[in-house]
This record gives sequence, structure tokens and C-alpha cells, in this order.
Amino acid sequence: MSSIFDLTLIALLIASALLAVRSKDLLAATIIFSTYSLVMCLVWMHRGSPDVAMTEAAVGAGITTILFLVAIGKTTRLER
Amino acid sequence: MKKALVIVLLIVAAVPLVAAVAGLPPHGSPSNPTYTHVSAYYLEHGAEEAGAENIVTDMILNYRGFDTNGEVTVIFTSLAAVFGVLLLTGAVARKPAAPEIPVSMVVRFIARLLAPFIAIFAVYVILNGHISPGGGFQGGTVLGALYITVSIVLGRDEARRLLPRGPKPWLQAAGPLTFVGVGLLGLVLTGYYLGFPTTPALAWLRTAMIVVIEIGIGVGGAAVLASVYETMEAD
Amino acid sequence: MSGIDAVIGAVTAVLAGVGAFFFLVGTLGILRLPDFYCRTHAATKCDTIGAGSILLALAIFNRLHPESLKIIALAALVLLSSPTAGHALARAAFRTGLVPWQRTGAKGGGS
Repeated sequence: MSSIFDLTLIALLIASALLAVRSKDLLAATIIFSTYSLVMCLVWMHRGSPDVAMTEAAVGAGITTILFLVAIGKTTRLER
Repeated sequence: MKKALVIVLLIVAAVPLVAAVAGLPPHGSPSNPTYTHVSAYYLEHGAEEAGAENIVTDMILNYRGFDTNGEVTVIFTSLAAVFGVLLLTGAVARKPAAPEIPVSMVVRFIARLLAPFIAIFAVYVILNGHISPGGGFQGGTVLGALYITVSIVLGRDEARRLLPRGPKPWLQAAGPLTFVGVGLLGLVLTGYYLGFPTTPALAWLRTAMIVVIEIGIGVGGAAVLASVYETMEAD
Repeated sequence: MSGIDAVIGAVTAVLAGVGAFFFLVGTLGILRLPDFYCRTHAATKCDTIGAGSILLALAIFNRLHPESLKIIALAALVLLSSPTAGHALARAAFRTGLVPWQRTGAKGGGS
């Protein structure tokens, strides 16, 4: 049920989620968040739901990151 | 005083919730009715009953079509919200633009080389969604990402040609529009909104309806993402 | 038939080993190299050769299955896009004026 692979993925997931929330640099937070999405995509895939994995990869790691980057480019990079 | 009142109110609100949760069947237990009846039924009859090989597509477009209808409308509404915030309040680009760096020839060449393949992949994901994993949402996102790539690498004007002004509003609303259209077709055929015909003679129509909805969601999603990007990027 | 099996297994193992090695070295490089350009270089190697050879290993492992074609298409995509991304990153950094790293304390003698 929970192999070492699963546990590693979940540890990565939690670590990247915490880092993304705690980071003061919004650019770094965005990149870490896209890492989170990629790991989440692997988790979905490993759990046997390729549909959700595709959505997560395309929306979470792709489009959301680009839109965040554009928003950061239009505003400020550091959290106040 | 106020704090104590809030705490008391919270406890009063929490008691029925906790009681309700305690009354639920054990979480994740394989003997729950959801697992023994509903899922089993869908897995067994989904492919022949709902019109798509991919059981997930059956689920989101046929059995749970109302939810997806709402979801598509939400995506469309998000575009309206972005327009409302960025265009009407004029809050776009108050910052001096970064120094313009010309796009490298290598990037330009590779983008031009890969763009048709990305487009084919997106169309494949959209149209093949009822057989293999994928579907309108995923393929639409890939199409939107392609638009964004073109806009970044080949310039805004080149990208705008992909989404001409005339059909643009219709493309943006394609998701909800096709959904309502197919829903009304179902209403005419079966008497229920989003009803899918159940007779074996009309099995092809079920698949056709699902494919039409997928195309609508794909085109609509791509247009919405592209215009969100366009609106945010405009100055 | 077992001879072919052995050859395919060996080629797969070698390619996957090369891929894993490049991923390891690339990751070490991202962590240890001194400046942005060097780290970009390491990351791009990691993506291009590491992912490329692992995908190739998977394609060979699957033999002439239709899946192999998809995997080869993926490998081609990685081989095209990853160096381009590295190039774009380094170029953007250079054009915005990031000065490449130089060994400090090596002003007088050789490097």
C-alpha cells in the first residue's frame, strides 16, 4: 500500500508545500509551487488516475505558473 | 465577553457536525455503500451505457454532467472576473516595463518547429479523451499554453492572429454554449436536460454528444486561458 | 531468442545507468557549482542526456511496441526543448547583465 516510493513522494509534497507557503520571495514560491504540482502529478499517476495527473501537469505546473510569473512581472517580487 | 460568546457559538455549531461525522460509515472502509454499489455499477456498465471507453469521461460528462456544466461555467466566469478586475479598474501595468530583450533565434526556430506538434497533441488529447486519458480540459490547457508560448516567443501580434477579434467571444464562451446545446438536445430527445439517449440504436449519438462537449470544453478552455494571459500581459 | 533478450537487457541497463549517472552529476552540479551559468549548464545536461537516455532505454526495453514510438517522440521533444530552455535562460541572464563567475584570488598566477 504505502511503499518507499509513495512515502518519498508524500514527503516531497509536504516539504514543497511548506516551502512554497513560507518563502518570502514570490518568484521562488512560484517555482516551488510548480514543483509541488509536478510531484502531485506523480502521486496521481502512481495512484492510477492518469486523467487527473494530466490535468495537474498541464494546469498546475504549466498554466498557473505562467500566470503567476506574469503577475509577479507586473507587480513586485518580494512579499511585503 | 465577545470572545467567550464566539467560543460558545462555535461549540454549539461544532456539536452537530461532530455528531454527524460520528454517524458516518467508517472512512475508506471497503464495505461502504459508495464502494459496493455506486462505483461497482459505474465500472461495470459505464463503458456501454454512457458512450465513452474512458470511464472518467463517462463520469464527468454523462453521469455527473451537471457538475461539469457548472464547472465549465465557472471557468468562463473566471475570465469575466479577470476582465472585471484588470480592464474595468485599469489596474494593468503601472510598472515601468523591463528592458526589452529580443528573442533569440534559436528559441524562435524551436518554437516554430514544435508549435504544430503541440497543436496536434492538444487536438489528439481533446478528441481522444473518450478513449484514453485526457479530454477537453487537458487538451484545452495545452492549446492555451501553446498560445502563450507563441505570444512570448513570436510576439503579441502573431499570437493575436490565432485568436481573431471576431469569433473571440464565441470561442471564449464555447464551453458553456456547447454544454447547454448538448443539454438541450438531450432535453428534446429524452425529456431531461443533459439526458443521453439510452436506446442501443442511438449509441453513436451518445459518443458524438460526448465528443462535441469535449471539443467545446477544449476550445473554450484554451480561449479563456489565452485571453486571461492576453489581458494580464497587455499594457 | 534469449540472446536478443540479453542484448536488449544489457543495452537498457547501460542506457539507464548513463541516465542515472547524468542525473546524479547534474543534481550535484546544481547544488555545488558557483554561479548561475554553471548551474544552468548542469541542469541542462541533466535534462538532456539524463532524461534522453533513460527514455531511450525505456523505448528499447519495450522493443517494437507502439509505445516505443511515443517514448522516442518524448525523447526527441526533450532533446529539442531542454537545450533551448537552457540557452534562453543563460541568454536572458547575460543580456540583463549578470556577470559570469571568475575564480577569485587568481589574479596573478595561472588559473
